[in-house]
Amino acid sequence: MDGLTYESIDNTVLATLSPPRRSYWITVMLLFAGVLIGASCWLYQILVGIGVGGQNNPVHWGTYLINFVFWVGIAHSGTLISAILHLFRAGWRNPIARAAETMTVFAVCTAGLFPFIHLGRVWMVYYMLPIPNQRTLWPNFQSPLMFDVVAISTYLTVSSLFWYTGMLPDLAIVRDRTVGVRKKIFSILALGWTGEYEQWRHYTRGYLFFAALATPLVISVHSVVSWDFALSVIPGWHTTIFAPYFVAGAIHSGLAMVLTLMIPLRKIFHYEQIITMHVLESVAKTIVFTGLIVGFAYATEIFMAWYSHSTVEMESFWWRAFGDYSLEYWIMVICNTTIPLLLLFKKIRTTIATLFIISLLVNVGMWYERFVIIIGSVAHDFLPHAWGLYSPTGIEFGIMIGSFCLFFFLFVLFVKHMPSVSMTEVKETLHEGETHAG
Amino acid sequence: MAIRPLPIAKYSTLTLNQKWFVLMGISAVFFMLMIVSGHAERAWQAYLINFLFFSAIAQGALLFSTLMHTVKAQWSRPIARIADAFAAFFPLSMILFFFLFFGYSHVFPWLGEDLHGKEIWLNLPFLFFRDMIGMGILYGCGMAYLYYRLYFRLKTRPSTQALASLLQAHWRRHPPDEDAFNRRQTRWAILYMLAFALVLSLLGYDLVMAADPHWFSTLFGAYSFVKAIYIGFGALIMVCAAMHLHPDLPVAFQENQFHDLGKLFFAFCLVWADFFYAQFVVIWYGNIPEETVYIIERTMRWPWGGLAWLIFIICFIGPFLILINRDIKTRPKAMIAICGAVLAGIWLEHYLLLGPAFHGHHMPFFWAEAMLAPGFLGLLGWAICGYFYQFPERLPLISGKER
Amino acid sequence: MPADQASIMGIFKHEDQTAAAIKALRQRADWTVARVHSPLPSHAIETALAPPKSKVGWFTLAGGITGFFTGFLFAAFTATRWSLMVSGKPVVALVPFFIVGFEFTILFAVFGNVLGLISQARLPRFGPRPHYDDRFSGNRFGVLAQCRPTQTKQLIQFFQDRGAETTGAESQPREV
Repeated sequence: MDGLTYESIDNTVLATLSPPRRSYWITVMLLFAGVLIGASCWLYQILVGIGVGGQNNPVHWGTYLINFVFWVGIAHSGTLISAILHLFRAGWRNPIARAAETMTVFAVCTAGLFPFIHLGRVWMVYYMLPIPNQRTLWPNFQSPLMFDVVAISTYLTVSSLFWYTGMLPDLAIVRDRTVGVRKKIFSILALGWTGEYEQWRHYTRGYLFFAALATPLVISVHSVVSWDFALSVIPGWHTTIFAPYFVAGAIHSGLAMVLTLMIPLRKIFHYEQIITMHVLESVAKTIVFTGLIVGFAYATEIFMAWYSHSTVEMESFWWRAFGDYSLEYWIMVICNTTIPLLLLFKKIRTTIATLFIISLLVNVGMWYERFVIIIGSVAHDFLPHAWGLYSPTGIEFGIMIGSFCLFFFLFVLFVKHMPSVSMTEVKETLHEGETHAG
Repeated sequence: MAIRPLPIAKYSTLTLNQKWFVLMGISAVFFMLMIVSGHAERAWQAYLINFLFFSAIAQGALLFSTLMHTVKAQWSRPIARIADAFAAFFPLSMILFFFLFFGYSHVFPWLGEDLHGKEIWLNLPFLFFRDMIGMGILYGCGMAYLYYRLYFRLKTRPSTQALASLLQAHWRRHPPDEDAFNRRQTRWAILYMLAFALVLSLLGYDLVMAADPHWFSTLFGAYSFVKAIYIGFGALIMVCAAMHLHPDLPVAFQENQFHDLGKLFFAFCLVWADFFYAQFVVIWYGNIPEETVYIIERTMRWPWGGLAWLIFIICFIGPFLILINRDIKTRPKAMIAICGAVLAGIWLEHYLLLGPAFHGHHMPFFWAEAMLAPGFLGLLGWAICGYFYQFPERLPLISGKER
Repeated sequence: MPADQASIMGIFKHEDQTAAAIKALRQRADWTVARVHSPLPSHAIETALAPPKSKVGWFTLAGGITGFFTGFLFAAFTATRWSLMVSGKPVVALVPFFIVGFEFTILFAVFGNVLGLISQARLPRFGPRPHYDDRFSGNRFGVLAQCRPTQTKQLIQFFQDRGAETTGAESQPREV
């Protein structure tokens, strides 16, 4: 971070909030068009029925669940970066913390849509609310799906509060450097933050507690999502390793998405001095680590499938690798475990293009991992006569496109209207560097 | 071998090394007595439990050093040098593992059972060799890491002791490329951590999980190595605190270092409990008899269930509630007590996991295991003291500056 | 602020200057430090001010404890309304309800945290903030000191000696 001063940090970031070029609005329009495609597909599904999707016997959980788990997973590494790395005092997290938290909030929002989409008859969602309905039925809190409701809503609430609290000092910076309507809006948003010591004193304490609470939350939320599957008895699903395996996988895909977002952002907004190569390298090294954990989990499951000598278990894992969905399986294995190992080579880690491509491949691999787990187990479980296949329909693809577009749409809107780098935290890193040198 | 006393004031007629030998002697005598009096089974089972426990401590403690080195943490540098000492137990651990196989008929309940095809994995020669090789690889990586590390250590703090002189002479004759040594140190640190995950999982599957050969849990391997990290860190805190408190040792740590160590220990308390719960909830909820039989016996039926609750309180509920407080973590005496209790709890947990496989529904009081524990503790303590004898450590209290 | 106190705001460029000024100010009995502004949380300023520990944590803890029992009891309550044994599990099952309790613990602890933050830091605060300089959020530190009206010139000199610009009742605001 040579050559950075508090002023240059502020100027660089505030420059990104200037009125956007035409290309920006075109991007926004295109993404919005994608969102509309998704919305219209969903509307069609609501009017016609859940049968327009490919789910049926035996595979009753399809791309809606895959996307749900995918987006919740992406959300997790945002919290890893902003909360867990804050606890570890890893300075390299500071330049990307804001964008990562934003990614978390929008990813959870996107993920949260999928239980509704998967319901079919969306108006029945009130069954999940903790109020007795007209049959005096309460939700059954022993169900993992109810754990999900509690966990995901907690995660959304906590992430949003954490995100907003983290932004307060930066909103004050924008307020102090703008005029007119924008000044009024940011004055309200900044809640009267004046950087007084009395405010900082409580703020740093509160932020520390946010981080300390968000950490077990991250681990518990994706464990709860994994238990949607593990608490069943289906081979390939009922296995104790799921909780840490899913958490590691979530962080793996989320970090890859961080790179996918940061690399273009850095280029377009001229953040090269702030989001340095060192930051991207650190993310890449962490991806190697999470990739190894995911690989370890794959190997353990395969070994244990053999060790258990359970016919069903062995058949399930054999079929995954060599059956009807073997292509998806091998995409998963190669993209998640083998390709990240390339990041062990410094040349590859420090070349932007390869870093970007690898991040895309990891995301593809992690999407297919959820495919292999969700579809692969249900399609081929206990009784051979009940085996069946699944392929997503056009409506499902439409909704999936809509969800991806929604995520990027929200993110693109955010980065042009709010500070996408936490100026305050970058100043803190600068500050640490000075005090250590001095 | 000449046993020179460590530079500590003699507060008893025995030097520290002699105390370790006394402990070893007590256990050795008891072991012999048990074998000749027809309790060979208890003797070897107790040997296995203690071997697993103390080896895990050493393996987990060295992980602290390799982990902190890999992530380039600065706050932990002095503590990592203490953690290195635990690697001195590695050769002893290998020898102990070798000797374990003389008791093979008592520690492997699956011997002679019909395993429906699992025999190609669970047979004595294959198990012995793969575990020996695995431990060899793990310990080899650890020692290689230590070799490169000692170069830098002895450079700033030369030693006159035998092993140290040997190394220093070797490096004087062949002056190494420091950058290469640094890179190799990092490489071996990473390899150690990889081997740690794989080998401790393997040992967990082979020596503990296989005791119930028809039961399995995919998370068991990871659970084993998380346990090792938990107790390794706990033992490390105890050693650091003991050295800090000792009036004659020139070793002292900062308050914030104890605080950070305490926080890390607290974190692993939660991780251990989480890995335990992740197994428990999946098996409980699925309610599949071939899986639940294991946890029902160990957590829901008296007497093993009572022991399980005791362990849960000592190793999770207690430390969780106590360590939330900031000040406790900065008091060395308190941390010795808390970490000591946790270590005792996890020692009991080793007994809990293997006990029903060896003894069935009846829980014999763990007198045999408790009588052998001092011996293993003596070996570990002797190894650590031996390491510091060879590579003396000086950590005077200097506020702020990096030592 | 009592009517007979004058306020002078010293605007510093560097954190160590600010901390030194605060230390010096606190040594004088007749001058007080009313507020300190900074663009980032500063350890040096904290040491200089030696404040009491923040109470936010107590709110968080209270929230967490409330949440744990709320979650558990809530799940247990809803289960006992129907008292059905589902899949052979007990009606009030501790093992799965722990998850609900855990999530509620975090949720309520965060609510407590936010409540603590709002109440202790006294946000939101939309009134005008006298002597606030827009650069405090950017790259300047501010120390608002109070003294008797007769001592304002001394106070201004004190700040200027330590490298600060000053704004306030009796001084001319300097242009940057």
